[in-house]
Amino acid sequence: MSDFKERNVQCILEILKKKNPATTKEIMAMRDLFPDLCAGCSSGGDVILAVKQLVEEGTVQRKWKAEEGFEWKLLSDPVK
Amino acid sequence: MVVWSRIRKDFPVLNELYEGKSLIYFDSACMALKPVQVWEAMEYYYKYLGACGGAGRSTHSLGIETSLLTEESRQKLASFINAKSSNEIVWTRNATEGLNIVAATLPIKKDENVVTTSLEHHSGMLPFFKKCQETGSDLRIVNAKPDGTFNLTDFEEKIDDKTKIVSFVHASNLTGTIAPLEDIVKIAHEHGAWVVSDEAQYAPHDKLDVQKLDVDFSVLSVHKACGPTGVGVLYGKYELLKELGMFLVGGDVIEDVVYKDGKIIPKYLPPPHKFEAGLQNYGGMLGAGAAVDYLQKIGMNNIHKREQTFSRRLLEGVLELEKFEVLGPLDYKQRAALVSFRPKSDSMNHNDVTEYFNEMLPHNKILMRSGNMCVHPFQYQIGMSPAQGDGVTRASLYIYNTMEEIEIFLTALENFAKAID
Repeated sequence: MSDFKERNVQCILEILKKKNPATTKEIMAMRDLFPDLCAGCSSGGDVILAVKQLVEEGTVQRKWKAEEGFEWKLLSDPVK
Repeated sequence: MVVWSRIRKDFPVLNELYEGKSLIYFDSACMALKPVQVWEAMEYYYKYLGACGGAGRSTHSLGIETSLLTEESRQKLASFINAKSSNEIVWTRNATEGLNIVAATLPIKKDENVVTTSLEHHSGMLPFFKKCQETGSDLRIVNAKPDGTFNLTDFEEKIDDKTKIVSFVHASNLTGTIAPLEDIVKIAHEHGAWVVSDEAQYAPHDKLDVQKLDVDFSVLSVHKACGPTGVGVLYGKYELLKELGMFLVGGDVIEDVVYKDGKIIPKYLPPPHKFEAGLQNYGGMLGAGAAVDYLQKIGMNNIHKREQTFSRRLLEGVLELEKFEVLGPLDYKQRAALVSFRPKSDSMNHNDVTEYFNEMLPHNKILMRSGNMCVHPFQYQIGMSPAQGDGVTRASLYIYNTMEEIEIFLTALENFAKAID
């Protein structure tokens, strides 16, 4: 994994340690708390790629909530 | 008569299920899909040639054929935009590189200025911002109106006899705005200023005639015109290309490099070769030639007509729902075939909207792009804040899309709107 992507994965994990679960909107707003980790364009595509990777790995669970968009939850007991 | 259903078959990815769902590809403003004919042309190079091309390099049989075919492709690109000569066509990696070449090599003095607009893609603005920072020249910004269109009087106010160049986007990748290029060129030329137009979103969708428009430089990305990635074109009037300085230097751009009395004296080739340093993307060039052949066989007028019908339905369909803010002019005739929108409710991040259509529909994956489309300044101008997470979802169309796909999307969007309400 590239350093860039690894940093964004860490960015998501740190955010979800502070607020779990969190919506995409909340995650985007909290990126400023970890400027050394949360990298990439302000549009947030890199962060989305990172959180989707965590879902793939079973570390994070995703839920669609019609009123708020996606909610991302860090699992205490990862699926895999 | 164009048989559009047959055209769609040239794009195998659209005829396959992905994760068990049908693909609806609405991201052509980022990257157009590639027809069989393009990768066959590239395969020919990689399979049967694979050699060096270029000015006076390898003169063996494979080298000669590579050079002949790549120069033939250069001629095809010249015809595609109606350049006077293939010597006015410089191969680049993409439109961004073309704009960087013009900006970096522009002979501009400190008391001269550059005019651009708030609606530019960052690639049309930042190379000139950087150049002006380096030279101390003034960078003047014409603000687009909130609906993404322009007042010509704003150009008249900003352009003066000290304007060296005007850089602007012919078709916006964010708002879809088609700018009045001919009028802007006229205003610029009255003051002796050059014009460089960003044609990345225009040239793949409508006939571009650089001679008729009298534009001085134009750039395009072949990957948005069914061509391969990593290939673009910088067009420039030949005499003006000669006036530009050197960009990348090294092999393939020189006639000779004399070494005399401990000094290096390079003598550079004329355009277009002076801008094409090092070994080139020969396979990509052949693919580029095949791509414009493909589009011209369909006919640029046919493509434009069909896209206008489709983009009208797409635009009006999104507006009718009354739940989404659409960026750009509301008249489909003033737009390219793309619609950037965001929920009025502001309840979720734009990435959620795009991800919903990518992942949450039962039978389809509708592939769109979300974000700020590298046009941050205009979004700040109209009160959005990319830094705070504001952005849009963009649906963009091309030759392989169908009206049925647009209807599927609009139905899904209506359901989405009801769900988030």
